[in-house]
Amino acid sequence: SSQLSSLPLQILLYVNGIYYIFYFLATLAMIIYKSQVFSYPDDLLAPDLAVLFLMAILEVPRSYLGFKGNLTEAEAPLGLSLGLTVGSVVLCVYLLLWQTYVLWADVLLNALLLSAYGLESGLKVTAIAAFVS
Amino acid sequence: PADIRDAAQARARSPPAPITDVARLCVCDLLVAQCDVNCCCDPDCSAEDFSLFTSCSVPVVTGDSQLCSQKAAVYSLDVEANPPERIFKLIDQVNPSIFCIHATNYKQALYLKSPEIPTPENFDQLLDKFGGATFSAEPDSWNLGTDAQNPPDANETSRYEYGLPVLTEDAFLRLPSPVVSSWCSDANPAGFLVNQATKCIRSVSVEKCDSIQALSMLFYINSSILAVPKSSEMVNITVQSIVVQSLNGMRTLLSSSDVLRLPMVLDGLCINAVLGVNYHITHTDTGEIIEAAAAFVLGAISKEALSIEQSFEISFTQENTQPVPLSGNPGYVVGLPVRAGFQPPGYPFPAAFLSNRHSQLTILHSTSTQDCLAAQGARATVLFGYNMISGCKLRITAAMKCQPLAQTLLDVLKGQSFPEYVASFGNSQAQDVLDWVPITQLLISEQMIPHTLQSSCQIPVSLAIEVKWTKYGSLVNPQARIVNVTATITTTTLKQLPSGRERIIPITSSVVFTDISSPAEPSYKAWPTIDIKLPFDFFYPFV
Repeated sequence: SSQLSSLPLQILLYVNGIYYIFYFLATLAMIIYKSQVFSYPDDLLAPDLAVLFLMAILEVPRSYLGFKGNLTEAEAPLGLSLGLTVGSVVLCVYLLLWQTYVLWADVLLNALLLSAYGLESGLKVTAIAAFVS
Repeated sequence: PADIRDAAQARARSPPAPITDVARLCVCDLLVAQCDVNCCCDPDCSAEDFSLFTSCSVPVVTGDSQLCSQKAAVYSLDVEANPPERIFKLIDQVNPSIFCIHATNYKQALYLKSPEIPTPENFDQLLDKFGGATFSAEPDSWNLGTDAQNPPDANETSRYEYGLPVLTEDAFLRLPSPVVSSWCSDANPAGFLVNQATKCIRSVSVEKCDSIQALSMLFYINSSILAVPKSSEMVNITVQSIVVQSLNGMRTLLSSSDVLRLPMVLDGLCINAVLGVNYHITHTDTGEIIEAAAAFVLGAISKEALSIEQSFEISFTQENTQPVPLSGNPGYVVGLPVRAGFQPPGYPFPAAFLSNRHSQLTILHSTSTQDCLAAQGARATVLFGYNMISGCKLRITAAMKCQPLAQTLLDVLKGQSFPEYVASFGNSQAQDVLDWVPITQLLISEQMIPHTLQSSCQIPVSLAIEVKWTKYGSLVNPQARIVNVTATITTTTLKQLPSGRERIIPITSSVVFTDISSPAEPSYKAWPTIDIKLPFDFFYPFV
């Protein structure tokens, strides 16, 4: 077929976008809950909140570039999106392992997000390979 | 030796490490090396002790229950077995909640903080942090709090407030007062709007007369008072009057009070020594001091005197007001004088009552001689709520004329200026005419002669003042209010005595306070009524 755009990647990008909104609101709510219930000094609360908001800021160009690259069958935006995904993965690993309090719900949400990112990266690589060749 | 002592000190400095193993933690193990009753986790108990227990007071020992999975030591008694034995199980307790703590990177979250052991190095810092009456739980916000208080709030300290020391250019206005013993201490500041009167003893000697600062007038007036704190406006203390007290106690008011009289030695006496200072400070209603005056009592100290008693007083007056001490606000306070006054000329539309310190309701004050005619003028103020009775004895001789005697007795009973009106409330202002109650004066004759004219003269023998008061205001905070004052003078006939004989008649005056308040009925608001009116065409088209 002449269409090189990857349908699974498009579906995954769309679902990932919606899931990320839910993930951001849930993680923010849990940080607020933790700061009220547990002893959460300000110098530990600030890095956790900063990482969460940085991830949200990264997600917007990452998602947009992924959509654009896949639909226009261009490998440059897709490659850039892959690079930003690496950054998001690092931040997600921080929230999974090195947060001040890691609740069981945190573990679930972050693990889901990590697996989504992993699957997305794999699909992006195959899409780039398809576009280049 | 020294090294063992150092090791022991080192051990004493650091607190013992906290036990976190649940299998070794036992809260009910209170007795050392002895078995605690019903304490299943006590290591001092043997199997025989366990067989005597009835239940376990501590059934489970766990760590923080917020963790997802943690170790728990469970103790129970197996009462089925013979003899009963204790069962100890170490299990993994799982918290099923989705918000359980899976892991934490903040070690202090799960344990109580170990307190810092004071050492010579950190003692000062610990004293700064925790030495006060209160300290903040959050160590970070502690520092923020002290920073916020440092910049002074310009609005707050630009005026004097009640109780604040009255500041002068070098320190504060001193009111020497006895501190621990009766000796004068010069470090007592005068508080703004705090009317004080103190008496204290100062040790003096005639030789050091001019070198003791506290005996000289300059000491009390040389520093000027700041009009407002933290300002450069000064108010000088003026000398209002000087009274010189001689050695036998007689006081003379000096006509010119602008000459400063300093203590000096004269004929073996130290004259012009300050025996008393009376400060009068005038202030505005915004807390600014505008005037300060001092009235001095100077006296002489003889060679034998080793100490003198000094008395100090300070009073505050607001500008453009006449200071009248209140007897309650608004209801009368038991023990404070009943305020009274006169109706000024201008009847029947009085503008304001004349009431000052000299027009008070007073009754005769009993003296030790009990002679009515000898000690005239001793009066006692009528205090609200205090029933008083006093009297004296009148010696009547044959030579006494009736009419002047009756007038004298009336003066003795009623005093020089018997008021016409009494204030209804403790804080009644002179200009509120309706707040003042007239004193009803009754005249009763003791001996009623029904058919003959009372041509023989009557002399007053008793004055009975009855003050009727009621409780006014709310149920929880009733205020005393005077409703009615009646002064009853009882007279008796003076029978002519044969010459040479004399008679003694007792004269009494009394004040009685009667509570005529009706029993209080609490009143409640009416239940709200539901007032629904349907619109008139509600049932259209049926109606």
